[in-house]
Amino acid sequence: MNILIVEDEKSLAGEIAEFLKSENFLCELAYTGTEASEKIAVNLYDFVLLDLGLPDYDGLDLISEARNNNSEVSFIIITARGAVEDRVKGLDLGADDYLAKPFALPELLSRINAVARRKFKISNPDIVLGDFIINAQSRRVLCNDNEVELTKKEYDLIQYLVLNKNRVLTRQQLYEHIWGNILDDQYDSNFIDVHIKNLRKKLNNHAPTPWLETVRGVGYRISTEEQ
Amino acid sequence: MRLKTKLSLFNLLSKLIFTALFIILMPWIIQRINLRHIDNELIQKREQVISIISDIGIEPFITSDTADAYGSYNILKEEFVSIEMVDLDEDWNFIEVTPRLIEGEEIDYRVLYYSLMIDGQTYLLEVGKSLQSILHTENLIKKVMLLFLVFIIIITFFTDTQYNLLLLRPLDKIKKKLKRISDPSLFDRDPVKTSTSDFQRLDGALIGLMDHINLLFQKEKEITINISHELLTPVSILRSKLENLLLREDLEEDIQNKIEESLKTVHRLQSLVNSLLMIARIESHQFLREDSFSVKEVLDEIAGEIEPVAEDAGVLIKQEMEDDLEYKDANRSLIFSMFYNVVNNAVKNTPAKGEVRISCNKKPGQFIIKISDTGKGITEEQKSKLFLRFKMRDKNSGDGTGIGLAIAKTIADFHEISIEVHSEPGSGTKFSFIFPLIS
Repeated sequence: MNILIVEDEKSLAGEIAEFLKSENFLCELAYTGTEASEKIAVNLYDFVLLDLGLPDYDGLDLISEARNNNSEVSFIIITARGAVEDRVKGLDLGADDYLAKPFALPELLSRINAVARRKFKISNPDIVLGDFIINAQSRRVLCNDNEVELTKKEYDLIQYLVLNKNRVLTRQQLYEHIWGNILDDQYDSNFIDVHIKNLRKKLNNHAPTPWLETVRGVGYRISTEEQ
Repeated sequence: MRLKTKLSLFNLLSKLIFTALFIILMPWIIQRINLRHIDNELIQKREQVISIISDIGIEPFITSDTADAYGSYNILKEEFVSIEMVDLDEDWNFIEVTPRLIEGEEIDYRVLYYSLMIDGQTYLLEVGKSLQSILHTENLIKKVMLLFLVFIIIITFFTDTQYNLLLLRPLDKIKKKLKRISDPSLFDRDPVKTSTSDFQRLDGALIGLMDHINLLFQKEKEITINISHELLTPVSILRSKLENLLLREDLEEDIQNKIEESLKTVHRLQSLVNSLLMIARIESHQFLREDSFSVKEVLDEIAGEIEPVAEDAGVLIKQEMEDDLEYKDANRSLIFSMFYNVVNNAVKNTPAKGEVRISCNKKPGQFIIKISDTGKGITEEQKSKLFLRFKMRDKNSGDGTGIGLAIAKTIADFHEISIEVHSEPGSGTKFSFIFPLIS
């Protein structure tokens, strides 16, 4: 998929591009609004990651421009200006999602994935992990045709880990994904440990889960590579 | 003492002093007035007698029968006129009070003495009037005046007091306007209706002052918001760089740990900035209050979220919500945050086998949510700092920044919910959230 990153902080734009490239996205960068406007007019992108705080442009205008040109590109707004009206305005203009800075790169991937699934009807294939099958369509985890009863949060955890498979996710990243930003201050590493513990217990009742790894001192990882 | 009480007291006191003075002076004044009146009358009579004498001569009065003297009393002995022949060295013309013995009874008379020269003979003319009837009238007048005075005092005291109340009503309104606000931005900008220019000026000055304070607060909040935004961008860069670094596959374990620790620190910074930003945003009313929801449901949701962690820590969350509040014109996610912070805090501060209770209480005009724990409680000193930003940060309390309760308080203020904290060291802490009910 083609992604245009519109961000005046070059350093941040570079990091986002590096991360998305590792996920096999094609990335282009635009550091100013004018540059972005030209690129959107000429090229076909699937996604535009849009920083609203551009020096020469009101980021929201880029969305209106694109919509006026019948462009179907999906916008994900990334901004430090998290005011409610910005968010509402952006979504009203047709942005597909909104991420407040600072965000976790795996979270960005998760949002892109969600928009892609919704908008381009790209369905995530079933994932096979040992004896388990994770079905993203029905949000279910099956083990030899038996459903593993999971809470919503437990399923969200496993899905997030699957999406970022073979990559260690820190407890903060997991916490933010599950609880969002409003409870930022109450971040407690214990929360994630407890939920992973419960998740493991439920899965282990059906079959062993060597693929769900604890990375000591860092976090958790789902590994699909051969042990 | 209240202004109206003072005014009433002064009013009463001045009237009493005035009355006392009047009562002391009244007899003297009345007497003076009466005597003057009598004196005028006596002088008039004298003139009448003199004019009679000049018409008919002195002879009809002074005859040998009457032994050189003439005296005439009216029937009730209230007045008399007498003329007698005398030898005097000087002219007499004065008035004085003289007692007279009449039929064995001594009566005070006001008597005018006047000497006349007729045909080389001096005569003394005396015109007198009894003071008895006058004293009687005097007493009567005194009584009537006293009664009238008391009546006037009572009437004027009440009318004055009522008028004062009416006059001071705008002041009461201004006072109420000041009393019921917790934040200058909530000050009622509608001027109080009054024709008293002093109150108009006072009200105007207060409105001006509040506007000024609001502007300063607004500026301060804007600065906080702007600084926060400026800080979030570098934090964002740092975070992305560290996250990308963590994804390298060839990392040694100690380097991986160091990156994760750095990420934790960055997260703490982010959390602090976000918390400050959130408080500034709530205080500058950037959040809307347009949700209607059940408070019980919010608390159920929170208990559900925290339960797994509480269970793990051996803490029981007891829900005893026997009533519910349909909360209107509120911000659900903020209220969620407020209760979440407090419940989570309670669970964290409760040792294994302890419990956290969520209950409610409905009173007239109030709905109260209580969240209590069986933790170690807090001291009075800690209690006073409980809602201050950063003050409660306990080095062992984990990853929080110690700003959670400050956020809860800000949210409560935003919704006009008051929070009361009861705690005794050793027996736990109880938070009461008092929701005002508008009927």
